Amino acid sequence: MTLVIGAATLVLVVFSLWTGTVSVTLPDTLRAAVGLHTGTAADFIVGQLRAPRVYTAALVGALLAASGALMQSIARNPLASPDLLGISAGATAGAVGCIFVTQNTSSLALAPWAILGALVAAVLVIVLGSRGRLEPFRMIIAGIGVNFVGTAVVTLILTKIPDNIVPQAYAWIVGSTNSRTWEHVRIGAIACLVIVPIALMLARGLRVLEMGDDLAAGLGLRPGRLRFVALTVSAVAAGLAAALVGPIAFIALVAPAIARRVTRSPGISVAASVLMGAALTVFADLAARELLGSAQLPVGLYTSLIGGPYLIYLIVRSKGAFE
Amino acid sequence: MTDESRLTAQNLTLSYGDARVVHGVSLEIPPASVTAIVGPNGCGKSTLLRGLARLHAPASGTVLLDGRDIHERSTKDVARELGILPQSPLAPGGITVRDLVGRGRTPHLKALRPWQDADTRAVTDALRATGLTGLAERPVDSLSGGQRQRAWIALALAQQTELLLLDEPTTFLDIAHQYEVLDLVHGLAANGRTVVVVLHDLAQAARYADHLVLMSAGLILARGNPSEVLTADRVGAAFGLPVTVVTDPVTGTPLIVPTGVPAGRPQAKEKTA
Repeated sequence: MTLVIGAATLVLVVFSLWTGTVSVTLPDTLRAAVGLHTGTAADFIVGQLRAPRVYTAALVGALLAASGALMQSIARNPLASPDLLGISAGATAGAVGCIFVTQNTSSLALAPWAILGALVAAVLVIVLGSRGRLEPFRMIIAGIGVNFVGTAVVTLILTKIPDNIVPQAYAWIVGSTNSRTWEHVRIGAIACLVIVPIALMLARGLRVLEMGDDLAAGLGLRPGRLRFVALTVSAVAAGLAAALVGPIAFIALVAPAIARRVTRSPGISVAASVLMGAALTVFADLAARELLGSAQLPVGLYTSLIGGPYLIYLIVRSKGAFE
Repeated sequence: MTDESRLTAQNLTLSYGDARVVHGVSLEIPPASVTAIVGPNGCGKSTLLRGLARLHAPASGTVLLDGRDIHERSTKDVARELGILPQSPLAPGGITVRDLVGRGRTPHLKALRPWQDADTRAVTDALRATGLTGLAERPVDSLSGGQRQRAWIALALAQQTELLLLDEPTTFLDIAHQYEVLDLVHGLAANGRTVVVVLHDLAQAARYADHLVLMSAGLILARGNPSEVLTADRVGAAFGLPVTVVTDPVTGTPLIVPTGVPAGRPQAKEKTA
């Protein structure tokens, strides 16, 4: 099933590279997409405009899904995700802080700040969510609180930002895959190459941890340490994703949940989640590009449009307690 | 098989925050037999079991596994020697019995040593021992309470540890399923495993335990052969309930009968043998 999701993701990526206002043949698209010279318009349209954007979207989607999958497993709750637990708000606050201080909106400059913001938020969630050890339910409540504070900090900084860079700051906050470059792709690829294998390695332990702390400890795992490491990795992934395209809502929440349903996996399923995250983000990016003609709405808007109803569906379906 | 105890507690004190729950208890677990820990609610029996399984760090005193402090050994190494089935573990939604039992192999797996034939064999054996072979591909959610409890025990069996600690494995089961689980426990000890089990029912504990530990208020009141431990005085003192002890007509083990009679119901004629 994971292979099917992977194949679907690949098809979606190719389709997204191929479609657009300027038509390019499919063979030219494929060649330009892997950096080959075609001598046609594809070199610029696909090679310089679409490919960096689509690849960045896919990589960011993968990072967000990995972040969300880890978070949901740790919290034993399908509602846990970096955007709802304040990690993304922390990353945004860090990035906006960077824009405020340095007046620089390049991803490379934002990345360390966004990661730092995400980690600060994660530390707050860990400290407030623990009583001796990290408790899943307490962690969610703490996260909601951190989210409010983080959002308030973002607003506060925005009011202080000089007028001339406010538009850039706002564009960044909504989350946009517009005008991404190969530099973004490079950062995203390195991030994925580091984060995804670590997440895959953590998954085996996390699957056992989902069955209860005592059972996991009895099987030779260290629940507190495992949760701490997984949350840190999750925060770094969310921070990197935010640095690349701004905070994109809901992918981290929705992708692992859909992946779990599609693969019928009992417990965390990193590979399927990552592929699903990539597919959903590429799809949202395509919609952002093509759906409303030349309006070019930010991708974050579309992920919210998909994610919002899904969140409501989760709440309606669960009839009370979330387990 | 030696007669030496592999698992011992020495002056073990366990507390939750400032509240001490187990007060300086010393205990040796006899090998290849069933040790049952009994006592009233809140007496510290589950906490003692968790302490023996290194899930609860001692406030003072030590737990020794093969003569070494259990907390100084790598927790993964301990997990290859000692299995614990805690109270109310969580079954992930949609998981099959085989998958659940397979997670008992966790301490034997490494990043560079993935699943092998030996792991499959351990799972197959555990399923057979618990009579779940035919249900292996069923989702755990669809099982009856007794079957589910057997699946959790199978997980602990797949861990292939000589020491097995079970925290109230019969809770929430009807009487037939309770005995089913206890028969399984008895069979494990007969095959050379060392089992420690926390139980609520004194008659069941007396019937199945080779070694009984009676606890009260964080202390061990008595331990040894069930018929020696379960006297009317001791049980009465531990539980605060006046009782008389009669002999189980089937097994000859002690059977506890409260002496208080419900109001308005006539007392039966004395018919002691």
